[in-house]
Amino acid sequence: MTDGFTILDRLIKATNFRHQVISSNIANVDTPGYKAKDVKFDQILGSEMNLTVTNQRHLGGGESGTSSEITTEDAQSWVDKNTVELDMEVSKMTENAMLYQAGVSLLATKISMFKKALGG
Amino acid sequence: MDSFDVFKVSASALAAQRERMNVIASNMANAHSTRTGEGGPYRRRDVVFSAEMLGSNANGLEGVKVADVVTDTAPPKMIYDPGHPDADKNGFVAMPNVNVIEEMVNMMMASRAYEASVSAFNMSKSNYMKTLELLKA
Repeated sequence: MTDGFTILDRLIKATNFRHQVISSNIANVDTPGYKAKDVKFDQILGSEMNLTVTNQRHLGGGESGTSSEITTEDAQSWVDKNTVELDMEVSKMTENAMLYQAGVSLLATKISMFKKALGG
Repeated sequence: MDSFDVFKVSASALAAQRERMNVIASNMANAHSTRTGEGGPYRRRDVVFSAEMLGSNANGLEGVKVADVVTDTAPPKMIYDPGHPDADKNGFVAMPNVNVIEEMVNMMMASRAYEASVSAFNMSKSNYMKTLELLKA
């Protein structure tokens, strides 16, 4: 019954983590030698969604958003060996924020449904 | 990493870009200064950025800091102006190695990077505000 909470929790954690990674990229847009990073999203969410289906006991375990999920992008390099492309980062950040807010809105809806059910 | 550290990442970028703008402003202000405390014409300065780990958790999230302010070693521009008080015996004046157009371009880049960090900051803020609204749900 409360599985939805776990999935939304994972979604919010993962998008929040990606937001932090993209913020770092934007902060280092002019740092020589900095390599743009990203989070492999499908892997995180995909593997955790599978866990919810195959084994209920896996739900509580595993922390999403650790360093192993950070990938360094192999984009074109500028003269200063910096691979951040500002416009790409900003659009990724917007997209990610929408996903995050969708997760939060769904969570809010779910909470209010539970409250209704409890007669609150 | 503390989830609020994302604000520190954006804030570090704002501080670094602002310092870069200060250096650029100083270069432009001194584009014609032929005398300095160290002697000779003003020499163009530039900032060096370096990525800085924030927080104790080494998860690869990095802010930025100004590692150093370096002096451009390019030779001064020699301008023929015999009437100038700092002219040498051949009538040439050593002018600062500042190219105002180049500084303008750098300033625009700094300004755009600053704006990008401001939007990143605002986006973080609106995400967290949205989350806090869960308390009212």
